[in-house]
Amino acid sequence: MRKRSGKAWPGAALAVMLIAGAVTVSGGRTAARDGTVIFQRNSLYHHIYVLQQGTVRHLRFGRQAGIYQTSVDTARPHRHVHEYTELAMCGLLYNPSPRRVLIIGLGGGVMPRVLRRHFPQAEIDVAEIDPDIPPIAEYYFGFREDERLRVHVNDGRTFIRRLRRQDPVPRYDYIVLDAFSGDYIPFHLMTREFLEEVKGVLSDDGVVVANIFSNNRLADAQLATFFNVFGWCQVFLGGRSANAMLVSAGSEVEPLTAARALQHGEWLHWEHDFAFDMRVVARRLRPGLRPARNAPVLTDDRAPVHHLRRQPPTDPWAETHDVVELRDGTRHEGWVLQLTQQQVIFQLKGQEGEAARTWPLGQVRTVTIEGRQEFPAAQ
Amino acid sequence: MAEQETATTGVPLLNRLGIIAVVCICGWLVMQTEILGARILTPYFGSAIYVTMGSVIGVFLLSLSVGYMLGGWLSRRRASMLLLGLALVAAGVWLVLLPFMVEPLCDRLLDAGFSDEWGSLVAALGLFGAPLVMLGMVSPTAVGWLTTSAERSGPNAGLVMSTSTVASFSGTIVTAFYLLRLSVGRTLRVSGLVLIVLGAVLALRWAWAAPGRAAEEEGE
Repeated sequence: MRKRSGKAWPGAALAVMLIAGAVTVSGGRTAARDGTVIFQRNSLYHHIYVLQQGTVRHLRFGRQAGIYQTSVDTARPHRHVHEYTELAMCGLLYNPSPRRVLIIGLGGGVMPRVLRRHFPQAEIDVAEIDPDIPPIAEYYFGFREDERLRVHVNDGRTFIRRLRRQDPVPRYDYIVLDAFSGDYIPFHLMTREFLEEVKGVLSDDGVVVANIFSNNRLADAQLATFFNVFGWCQVFLGGRSANAMLVSAGSEVEPLTAARALQHGEWLHWEHDFAFDMRVVARRLRPGLRPARNAPVLTDDRAPVHHLRRQPPTDPWAETHDVVELRDGTRHEGWVLQLTQQQVIFQLKGQEGEAARTWPLGQVRTVTIEGRQEFPAAQ
Repeated sequence: MAEQETATTGVPLLNRLGIIAVVCICGWLVMQTEILGARILTPYFGSAIYVTMGSVIGVFLLSLSVGYMLGGWLSRRRASMLLLGLALVAAGVWLVLLPFMVEPLCDRLLDAGFSDEWGSLVAALGLFGAPLVMLGMVSPTAVGWLTTSAERSGPNAGLVMSTSTVASFSGTIVTAFYLLRLSVGRTLRVSGLVLIVLGAVLALRWAWAAPGRAAEEEGE
């Protein structure tokens, strides 16, 4: 009897494993809350889904509904469905005519497509780690390679390391870092050592734009790391999404004031006829934003990215805003859209969907943008 | 008659526990080093799972197999405790120095034009091969120490492999869930120091027991 029960244990353990396996497999059937699955494939890195929801087509990694790498409106392919693809163009405010572009992370290929459309002469290199992604971007999302737009299937860091071993080292004037998804957080593309390598392939008038999520402590660590490597870093904070762009640049480029960003945004807006409003992107600049004091600089030796990602920010970025005080004593919070010699155009906080307010400067006592008084100019 | 009795009772309990503790610490460190190893190589050879992780796992298995063979040979030597102790000290020193070896080696491999695949494989071999051979020697040697009669060899082998693997499991989970938040270099330094102390204890214990054993052998 004793002997029998002893033999039952391995059997029981096996049964538990089989049940666990069965539960995992049956979980594979998806509820189509965010559209119909028109393609799916298990790549080396993700379970890739392509979903169709009305005229909008999404690229999703993994099962979590509502979190997309890319979405394209098949009826209006140039429309920016997600805010981050607009925000990523913020580097143009610093360098309006990129000739050589490097993008780390392809996804559905929206960013290279937009840059190709507006800068037909630019040389564009894209590094994408997952060999299954480029064909999907081409077939489902209208991405096309051409002789000056090439995709390299390679890890972003190894790709840049190998660039630096070329002679002469190629220099890019627009670098976009966009290689993360919900669960896949490549720590080695966030560290000080990596950014030093990026700096090594950046031209003196070049700009680096990194797409990040702003709603956790990792964002502060990333900002602190950018400050550490580039000396300065500015943030474009998404309004309708949790995305934010970190911008740093080569030695010849200066950080922008909010007013200057708006000027450049205005100019780019008329120059390029983008499918989005570049002036709105410029408005997202938060010039004075600094990392929280306790934010660690990420290094190859210590990069607790998953840990930081799960923690709420110490001092949430989204709380920053501009202030206009009028001579009648009223105080308004929101965002300055335009500050000229004659007037201030102001978007009120909580009324982003409505028309902006315009006040002649004669009515205005002070204008504070991101905690810094812009009017009257400090002497 | 007296000899018969020692054969059935085997090694004293305290010694058995000591041996198992050594096995557990080394089992833990094998997997901890494996996960940290993949982390260390990622900045150089990328995060392609099949490249970095594959190279590291492959090299670890190969090194362990060499270590098992050497450990089996060692278990029959009279000075096995001294030799294993020295090997663990060497492995500990290696782990302490490891963070300083990574950049020069990996840069040289990349300069020499190695692909990510071969580069990571060679780097893993160069960086982790030696300490892993030494850690692999522990289990078979421990089985040898625990086993005083042929009858006990199976259960002892089972005991050592099981405890070592449970320790490896713990090392994997704790490293992946917690230790990766800390400095990789510091974790390696602390682990190296633990190994150095452990190895020194083994070597000293051998030296302390040596005169007694010599007398015992003379008496026979």
